[in-house]
Amino acid sequence: MKTITSSIKKATSFVLLTLLTSISFSQENPSLSDAEVASVAVVANQIDISYADIAMKRSKNKDILEFAERMITDHNAVIEQAVALVTKLNVSPKDNAVSQSLMDGSEKTKKMLKKANKKEFDKLYIDNEVAYHKAVISAIKKLLIPETDNAELKKLLETVLPALEAHLGHAEMVQNKI
Amino acid sequence: MKYLFKLSISIVVFFGFNLSVLAQIPVSNSKHIIEIRNMKFIPSELIIKKGDTVVWINRDFFVHNITEFDDKRWKSSNLAKGESWSKVINENLNYYCSLHVTMKGKLTIE
Repeated sequence: MKTITSSIKKATSFVLLTLLTSISFSQENPSLSDAEVASVAVVANQIDISYADIAMKRSKNKDILEFAERMITDHNAVIEQAVALVTKLNVSPKDNAVSQSLMDGSEKTKKMLKKANKKEFDKLYIDNEVAYHKAVISAIKKLLIPETDNAELKKLLETVLPALEAHLGHAEMVQNKI
Repeated sequence: MKYLFKLSISIVVFFGFNLSVLAQIPVSNSKHIIEIRNMKFIPSELIIKKGDTVVWINRDFFVHNITEFDDKRWKSSNLAKGESWSKVINENLNYYCSLHVTMKGKLTIE
């Protein structure tokens, strides 16, 4: 039991460190074009969908499965809105250091989630969801919204914030049950 | 001139008729609208009369539903953006969106 708790703590620290590195990296490089902001927004949503896909395959817990299914549906809805907007604005999301850093961090997290013991998976997944949503909410407020020039893109980011906050609240409720 | 006279008579008759029809329609205060916007029920708390109809309209691009909270006795269909759902309310109730469990609302009978 001690071993499991210890490995969960280590893995949670790893997730938090990865997220903090991504966010602090992005804050040191605050200059983003709208095309780059759009890329970061799409990548951030894709990452959470990829975590949920792993949870759908690995978890048997009803609360985790419902949460993961919700993440897939809602984050796909955000991506659809973002794609519709950039198509309308005739802008192509542009890969950049922040989106790349997020992708790199997510690869490490996905490896950790895939390798995790079945008994510890649910806790690792939901702890990561809480940390990830906190980090993304902070990044949208402090980096993406201030960096966005286009009013419609800014409005989309502002619209997504309450959803991310609702996801965070939901994740914390599941976290308390696990 | 004759044409103008006929036209003005027609206008008076037309609007007069419609106004009289409108006057016969009783003003209903038994329907209440709750908007779902930015992951919130607006208003989140509402005082109504027994038998009033409540209509929920989803303004978010996320899908939502309306589910009775305490015993999960009933649930609406899932509402896409722009869709609405209504229910006659006869009792106090707490409700929430079972897809986004932090979204909650309350109806109180006066």
